[in-house]
Amino acid sequence: LNAAPGRAPRQRARFLPAPGGGGGGATGLVAARVPVLADHPLVRGPRFRRLKIGAGHRLDVKASGVFVLGIGHGNALLTDLYNCHLTKVYTVGGLFGKATDDFSDTGKLVEKTTFDHITREKLERILAVIQGTNHRALLMHSNIDMRTQEAYEMAVKGLIRPMGKSPPIITAIRCLQLTLPEFQLEVHCLHETQQYLRKIVHEIGLELKSSAVCTQVRRIRDGVFTLDDALLRTQWNLQSIQNAIWDCQLKVKTELEKTLG
Amino acid sequence: MWGVLRGARRPPPALRRGLAKPAGPRSVRQLREAEEAAPVFQYVGKAAKRKDRVFVWGFSYSGALGVPSFVKPDVGWKKPRRIQPTPYRLETEEKISSAACGYGFTLLSSNTTDITKVWGMGLNKDSQLGFQRSRRDRTKGYEYVLEPSPIPLPLEKPQQTRVLQVSCGRAHSLILTDSEGVFTMGNNSYGQCGRKVVEDETYRVFVGHTKAHHTDLQSSEILCVAFSLLGGCLVVSSESHLIHQLKEFDSRVVQVVCGQDHSLFRTKKGAVYACGWGADGQTGLGHYNITSVPTKLCGDIAGVNIIQVSSYGDCCLAVSDEGDVFGWGNSEYLQLASVTETTQVNVPRHLPFKIGKIKEAACGGTGNIVLTEEGNVFVWGYGILGKGPNLIETAVPEMIPPSLFGRSDFNPDIRVAHVRCGLSQFAALTNRGELFVWGKNIRGCLGTGRMEDQYFPWRVTVPGEVVDVACGVDHMVSMVKSFT
Repeated sequence: LNAAPGRAPRQRARFLPAPGGGGGGATGLVAARVPVLADHPLVRGPRFRRLKIGAGHRLDVKASGVFVLGIGHGNALLTDLYNCHLTKVYTVGGLFGKATDDFSDTGKLVEKTTFDHITREKLERILAVIQGTNHRALLMHSNIDMRTQEAYEMAVKGLIRPMGKSPPIITAIRCLQLTLPEFQLEVHCLHETQQYLRKIVHEIGLELKSSAVCTQVRRIRDGVFTLDDALLRTQWNLQSIQNAIWDCQLKVKTELEKTLG
Repeated sequence: MWGVLRGARRPPPALRRGLAKPAGPRSVRQLREAEEAAPVFQYVGKAAKRKDRVFVWGFSYSGALGVPSFVKPDVGWKKPRRIQPTPYRLETEEKISSAACGYGFTLLSSNTTDITKVWGMGLNKDSQLGFQRSRRDRTKGYEYVLEPSPIPLPLEKPQQTRVLQVSCGRAHSLILTDSEGVFTMGNNSYGQCGRKVVEDETYRVFVGHTKAHHTDLQSSEILCVAFSLLGGCLVVSSESHLIHQLKEFDSRVVQVVCGQDHSLFRTKKGAVYACGWGADGQTGLGHYNITSVPTKLCGDIAGVNIIQVSSYGDCCLAVSDEGDVFGWGNSEYLQLASVTETTQVNVPRHLPFKIGKIKEAACGGTGNIVLTEEGNVFVWGYGILGKGPNLIETAVPEMIPPSLFGRSDFNPDIRVAHVRCGLSQFAALTNRGELFVWGKNIRGCLGTGRMEDQYFPWRVTVPGEVVDVACGVDHMVSMVKSFT
């Protein structure tokens, strides 16, 4: 950033003695624009010494995926995005047959069980129930009086969601693939942590009368930012960052206007 | 001798210590070996079957929930539970195939060939649960049955006949068997049991001095209603425990439905028979009198093959195989206002609704609900209809948006599979086995866990896939299959 051509130095008008002239007699004053010495890069030093970078929703060490950062003035937008309470989408991979103490496959083994009785139908039934109970929790934590007509209309459109603090809620969950013992789920959730998602995988295993551990948690969408907007490790350079910010600006603005009014 | 003993007592072998292993974290290989050596538990095998369960919720003091510890706690620390606000599992001996909720009582039936096929619990003042002989006094019966008690039926072949369906009204009940016709029990003051009305017939209705035996006020409300309907006659204590058998229909009866004080029978040929009170025209026979013998209905349904009949209050609906719906009975709440202005319709009329082919219909006390072939739900009538607090009454069916039942872009193939009605509540079952309820929450009967009325469909969390639900005035019973 510092290598980029900085602002042109400020100029100000000064009255300088005319070159030549000298000698005796009246000194003519000529107005000329002269760069202010205080603005000279060698005097001021590099323009950017520190950058204010803020982080969006947390992503823990064992998980991967989209992680939103705000730079400089973008930090104010980060708080606004947090208040929008938009859903995040995760791809959660799991493995049947094992149960560990921290619900992931790197933890200490607690129990091993059989899993050959599990079918896709049973898994989908459990997922439907999880979705149902979480939908109820969604409506209950949104703190809207259910007896009003507005609540009914918003429920029809599916716009009710908690706009304040609430426990983790899963708005939608579905099975992407099931090849025993592995399975993959797509989870849309609000206010969650990755450990909560691992716990959900463990509980799905328990409901199916077996056990499960979580092998992979990958965030594929965080509000308006998807995997396509995300920058890979090889793309962490100034040009790509600037392009990415530029592309997302419009999206973020429209979303904020839509939700916060 | 001493030498042998001395030889036997050898010094104990010196305790050997092996080479000490270092403590420290186990290596990856050790962990993997330990994991592979761990035992594998099997909780359920491949051929495990899903279990069938029954869940009940609502008002419990009448005994209708079948859990005696709610009414009379068996342990000192338990308190009597007046209302069960969320689904509670009821242990039953057999798999229950059909259940029906009446006004303060419940009937459960199973289609086994064992001797005991039907169980009843709740209010039994009109012997609507048959005669439950009291253990204390052999001549009297129980007024309130707190636990599912078997109902003895006078079957000719008790080990071959199966009970297909049960239905309950205000104070009478009907049991449908596959080969021995229909059995009716309970109050017959309007001929709703299909037998001749006996003047001053007694069913154990007492006057107020026995209020001390009742545990709450609700039962005395029902008591007063029953008392006044019988014309205020003073009664003495003998019970009428007649279980009447009805066999004279044109073909086999395939569905029985109880309204508040009338009974409807649907036969295999598609005809509908009715008997009972007719002052609102709910018998559909063209007059407003009592009928004590099941008589065939005419009107717009003559010659039409009816595939489903429904009633709970004083209005009745019938669905034909072509998807048309016919209605008769009480229309004070605009239930039939789309065809007529009169408030009592005593002849079945075709209701010309252009909402698609109708698959199922259900009637409540003041509102009606139908389900179309596409899986859409339409409501009309009066009361909390399910479209928010602003829609109180309508004569024309209004659709409830399917997004309220869970349909969205994520789940586009959720459909409503069945609809049921209580007196002022509605219930809908989706094809995923979820139960949605809405309506007036009388004494916690909706099962949502809250006491407020519900103005739009709300999910009831039941630990299992709901197969069927029966709605009553202040309680509900559901038949559920467990998940795995």
